[in-house]
Amino acid sequence: MNLLLPGMYVATDSALHRLDPRVKMGAALLFTTLPFAAPGLRSTLLILAFVVVVTLLSAAPLSALLRTLGTVFWVGFFMFFFYLFTTPGRLLIALGNVTVTWEGLLSGATQIYRLCLLVIVGAILTFTTSPSQLAHGVEALLRPLARLGLPVRELVMVLTIALRFVPTFFDEIDKIAKAQQARGIDVFSRNPLRRARNWIPMYVPIFVSAFRRAEELATAMEARGFRGARHRTRLRQLRLTRRDLMASLIVLAVGLAVIGLERLG
Amino acid sequence: MLIQVEHLVHTYAPGTPLERMALRGVSVEIGAGERVGILGPTGSGKSTLVQHVAGLLVPTAGRILLDGVAAHERTAVASARRRRVGLAFQYPEAQIFEQTVFREVAFGPRNLGLEESEVAIRVRWALEVVGLDTTVMQERVPFTLSGGEMRRVALASILAMQPEVLILDEPTAGLDPRGRRGLLDRVQAWQEETGLTLILVSHSLEELARVVERVVVLEGGKVIADGAVRRVLSDAQLLRAAGLDVPQPVALLQALREAGWSVRTDRMLPEETAAEIARAWRCLEGRA
Repeated sequence: MNLLLPGMYVATDSALHRLDPRVKMGAALLFTTLPFAAPGLRSTLLILAFVVVVTLLSAAPLSALLRTLGTVFWVGFFMFFFYLFTTPGRLLIALGNVTVTWEGLLSGATQIYRLCLLVIVGAILTFTTSPSQLAHGVEALLRPLARLGLPVRELVMVLTIALRFVPTFFDEIDKIAKAQQARGIDVFSRNPLRRARNWIPMYVPIFVSAFRRAEELATAMEARGFRGARHRTRLRQLRLTRRDLMASLIVLAVGLAVIGLERLG
Repeated sequence: MLIQVEHLVHTYAPGTPLERMALRGVSVEIGAGERVGILGPTGSGKSTLVQHVAGLLVPTAGRILLDGVAAHERTAVASARRRRVGLAFQYPEAQIFEQTVFREVAFGPRNLGLEESEVAIRVRWALEVVGLDTTVMQERVPFTLSGGEMRRVALASILAMQPEVLILDEPTAGLDPRGRRGLLDRVQAWQEETGLTLILVSHSLEELARVVERVVVLEGGKVIADGAVRRVLSDAQLLRAAGLDVPQPVALLQALREAGWSVRTDRMLPEETAAEIARAWRCLEGRA
């Protein structure tokens, strides 16, 4: 593999890599939803400080995180201007029909902040948790829904396989792009019409290979006696260690402190 | 076309934990009409090197000149030079996308902006070179062909662009022995007829011995040998040090020599090896 993709797992070692996926996922869930419950300035600063500390602990390279943020640039851009122009309140600037309010500026900035937080926390989670651990965590968190008849293990299996093939397909896309480039298509053309014309030579081969791979994988699984995920057991069981307990306590304490600050403010 | 690779360094995913240096200062010069083999263990940088020659990668350091013009530049001149290099990737059938064999092979020539009549001539010519019957094949759906036939179609789609330099990255991987021989014979015939440059990346020593006249050996992203195919492939010490096998005929001749026979050890095709053993045998008989 020759690329570091946004949100890809990197098998280095850090304090965060060694944590139980359930703890990490719980913390991620808490810290991406907290800003909605605690929009005050002081609680926001505390959340940010915590996320910065966690980012440092994850040993994630800053460039990779910035690139991950880059993927949501346009979403953030439109969200910001949508809130900027449509929120009623105290007038800041008026240009003809377009009015910008203080409230608009503030809520636009808030949206950007929430989006960035979501992306960074998500990136750190996937950066420090292997796909199989992630799937294991999802399974643990969704287990209650199995009682309602949801095929949780099968869904997690699908998720695991999908995650497993993401880098494979990026390699494949890279290879096909180069091969067609060598046959004279201009992959980097700025002209959108030309780029659209490149769609078929790029994606037909990729779909063909995806279907072939899916079929091969299915055959390989059946050859090994796979009959659905229900009767499967796991080689590695998730066990909470003292470290996980400590981490959970810290996360809870920070979470409570945020709520506390919000109440006081 | 003269290809000059100068102190080429290539690093994948620089600045990330996945950083990997695939080429560490490679310098090679390949003249017009040469038949050059590139040999090396998996991960030695062979594919990276040939992608650079085709101008598909940007060097981390160093440069590749195609008739004096840097290959990766985004200028009209550089782009024209790149078009004169044809590269067939490993498993090139993966690039097939069209609904008929004709359109698949015509894709490259059409991208060159050729007239439809010229495109048709080239498609027929290219299919002939790879040994496919045009009248039968051209309207068939490429995805219904056998693996070997798809490989030939993919190869024809490169040949139809009539490159001056043809690079084949392990063209026979996954083919049966007959498919291998057939494909290589076609490529050899093409080269003999046109006299153009051929760069063959291969693991098969016999293939190289048959097709190329010069071999560049890569290991760990560096050139560790570059010379006449006979000299390089009979250098058992060098090949073993690079983690490669010695061609069987060479191994046999070396064993005979160790057993006291006076044979040359730089014969690597079965027929010439047999002739060498026969000669040595006659010498022994004559002495007896």
